[in-house]
Amino acid sequence: MKIKVVFALLGSIIICMLGIAIGSVLIPFNDIIAVIGSKVLGTAKDAGIDKVTLSIIWDMRIPRVLMAFAVGAALSVSGAIMQSTLKNPLASSYTLGVSSGAAFGAGIVITAGLTLPILGFLTLPLAGFIFGMLTVLGAVAFAASMDRSMDTNTIILSGMVFSLFVNAMLTLMSSLKREDAQKLIMWQMGSFSQKSWVHVMIFLPIAFILIFFTLFYVRELDLLTFGEEHAKAAGVDANKVKWILLGLSSALTGCAVSFSGVIGFVDLVAPHVVRKIYGSSHRIVVPISAIFGGCFMVVADLIARTIISPSELPVGAVTALVGAPFFGYVYFSGRKR
Amino acid sequence: MCIFQEERGDEGMLRLENVRCGYDEIEVIKGVSFHVNKGDKICIIGPNGCGKSTLLKAIAGLIKSDGEIYLSGIPIRKMKRAEIASKIAMLRQNETIYFPYTVFETVLLGRYLHMKGGIFRSPSKYDRDFVLECIDRVGLSDVKDRQINTLSGGQLQRVFLAKALAQEPDLILLDEPTNHLDLKYQIELMEYLNQWTQKDGHTVIGVLHDINLAMHFADKILLLSDGKITKYGCTNNFVDGKLLEQAYHMDIKSYMQNSLKIWEESAVKRTV
Repeated sequence: MKIKVVFALLGSIIICMLGIAIGSVLIPFNDIIAVIGSKVLGTAKDAGIDKVTLSIIWDMRIPRVLMAFAVGAALSVSGAIMQSTLKNPLASSYTLGVSSGAAFGAGIVITAGLTLPILGFLTLPLAGFIFGMLTVLGAVAFAASMDRSMDTNTIILSGMVFSLFVNAMLTLMSSLKREDAQKLIMWQMGSFSQKSWVHVMIFLPIAFILIFFTLFYVRELDLLTFGEEHAKAAGVDANKVKWILLGLSSALTGCAVSFSGVIGFVDLVAPHVVRKIYGSSHRIVVPISAIFGGCFMVVADLIARTIISPSELPVGAVTALVGAPFFGYVYFSGRKR
Repeated sequence: MCIFQEERGDEGMLRLENVRCGYDEIEVIKGVSFHVNKGDKICIIGPNGCGKSTLLKAIAGLIKSDGEIYLSGIPIRKMKRAEIASKIAMLRQNETIYFPYTVFETVLLGRYLHMKGGIFRSPSKYDRDFVLECIDRVGLSDVKDRQINTLSGGQLQRVFLAKALAQEPDLILLDEPTNHLDLKYQIELMEYLNQWTQKDGHTVIGVLHDINLAMHFADKILLLSDGKITKYGCTNNFVDGKLLEQAYHMDIKSYMQNSLKIWEESAVKRTV
């Protein structure tokens, strides 16, 4: 197990380095290490690297990779939480419509040009969080009222109804406000272009804190997979803990989406693959999902910006290309049993 | 030897006073009062749908109930989940598994109360040893690293029993614990629970379908029908079988008559 964890950590560092190195301009690893060294540790000033390369590495590639990694990590942890609290391997923020809800919230902020006093820059993530949370409440309450036992099919269908509905509102909004349409479309598909240090500085700590909080609940997550009643009998205050966890999950997704737009399926694929390799215990699943999801997103972003270079694919399209068939596979292999 | 005393001066293990509960609008338990001493082995028997499982859930505080349930003298409605779980463990009828934990991981979750604090608190050596001991007691040491979704129904039942034991409760509630067990393990389980109750006054309340097994194992029997107690007393009071007949009578008789009629009718057809 320890070897597997070390392997995951090393793998993530290599993938991040590749994410920084590969692009329209190929950059050797030495230069990246030199730049990071000079900027972070203050050693070997500039190290003979020309200004353009320096700017590409430090101002474009590194923030972009960090952002992709953080968003991927946040979404994956969010998915892992959803799956165990709803004891459903197919539940995720994306399938429950949280992402669409958050994008809708972000859409309102963009089109209305809202900026709350004091909060300023944080208005967008806050709107994402609130709308994401409202959607998950809506979808879960709707599923519960339709079907007390919260069957897999009910949850997925109600999530789908919610996300389709909210997506339609988003589309409506973008056709009413043509000047913001381009921005909104990007929100619906997800992208990491134009991400700078400002975004990293805001989102990275938020994601880190929320994931850190989640780590306090790993055993509750384990017990909740056996059902609420079982968890209660073992001593978990399930009514309270369940909502804390759903809150954390929605916050992770909501904030991530308000920075990057809707990126589907990572939250489904990452925890699932991690469980297959590392087992079900959330002590491992939560942190490794964060790492795996982060790497997955860095690679997806790498593909999105290089495959039809010089223009870019929305990263959501790349993850969906992998994720949608995977979703089908999980759904139907689960049904055969 | 059964000593049946309603009050022994002390608080006892458990006391129910006019407990009523159910689901939504339907009342399943319609006013039940009884007293359980420390070290009792009690079997709840009764026909299907009489509220046996519901009564257990009410005792464990898993569903809301009217009336009072006292656990060692304290009303459970005033207790936190963790406090209840430190005293009561429950083995439920049908556990559903959605994620493939190993046997060890599952039983370790029984130690939840002793290892709160999430990822930053790893289980102590005592926790691990205790869990291994519980797994050994239910005879699953060979499969402790197997994933629980690959086990048979009987093995799974024993996994959850081990998990309940790992909780170190004073009182175990068993909802048809012998359901998936073959004869050997049924008897082993009962023997084990016998030993367990003799130690430190541990208490067991179980719902059993098999009346023979109930008579053999329990020192007190609680006969429940239609959400009310028909009779609660020492096992030897039930030996003549009249009370059981009262509780199960209708069903058995009509069933026998119906099947006889069907058999006769088909016999007539065959001869025609």
